[in-house]
Amino acid sequence: MNAADPSEDPGDGALPAGESEPDARYTFANERTFLAWTRTSLAFIVAGLGIVQLLPPFPGVPWGRHLLGVPLIAVGVVIAIASYGQWVRSQLALRRGEPLPRSVLPIILTITITVMAAISAVVLLLSAIGRS
Amino acid sequence: MARAPGEREDLEVVLARERTNMAWTRTAIAFAATGAAILKNHLVAGLVVLALGVVTWGMRLAFPPTIDDQSRPRRLLLVTITVSAVGIVALVVVFTAHSAGFR
Repeated sequence: MNAADPSEDPGDGALPAGESEPDARYTFANERTFLAWTRTSLAFIVAGLGIVQLLPPFPGVPWGRHLLGVPLIAVGVVIAIASYGQWVRSQLALRRGEPLPRSVLPIILTITITVMAAISAVVLLLSAIGRS
Repeated sequence: MARAPGEREDLEVVLARERTNMAWTRTAIAFAATGAAILKNHLVAGLVVLALGVVTWGMRLAFPPTIDDQSRPRRLLLVTITVSAVGIVALVVVFTAHSAGFR
């Protein structure tokens, strides 16, 4: 998105030609979706913090808690930034009467959960081996 | 009782605004929970994030969602920047706690 291009402005000033204020319900729904992703982002950050601060160390895997917690926090930040971009693109599409753009956020979420589950399994296995 | 088309639309907008208000409240609670989690190892950072929860909730009261809200992009951008900052604080807390654990 080019910030200097007024046609890319999702909310400030007069609307450019070809754009009109969308139905208020859609604007509110778009805002709620942004807020829901924001809460998802905060949940990732809290989960990462909880893993590092609350879990006991994995026997034989001293870096295990950080391996699980730090990526979750980082993904939380990525989701927060991506959700704003998604809100901007969706609001512009609503104004222009175009189809809503495809969101990358569910893909990020799916990949993160899958990878983290795999990493958790590996850490638990290494921990079990280290204990025995 | 049948409603006029205009009345029905207004009701839907009112309800949508109400749901959006509640979404802001839930987001403020999520901020507070994050602050409480950070508070465990880092008092000052935790209190700052807890305060951000109060600010988020206050922002909803000061600027309730309206249809033609010109400040909406700036408000949402502010929330994004704040969450990103909270994430960076969380990373700092995690690595600080890590160093302390090896002492």
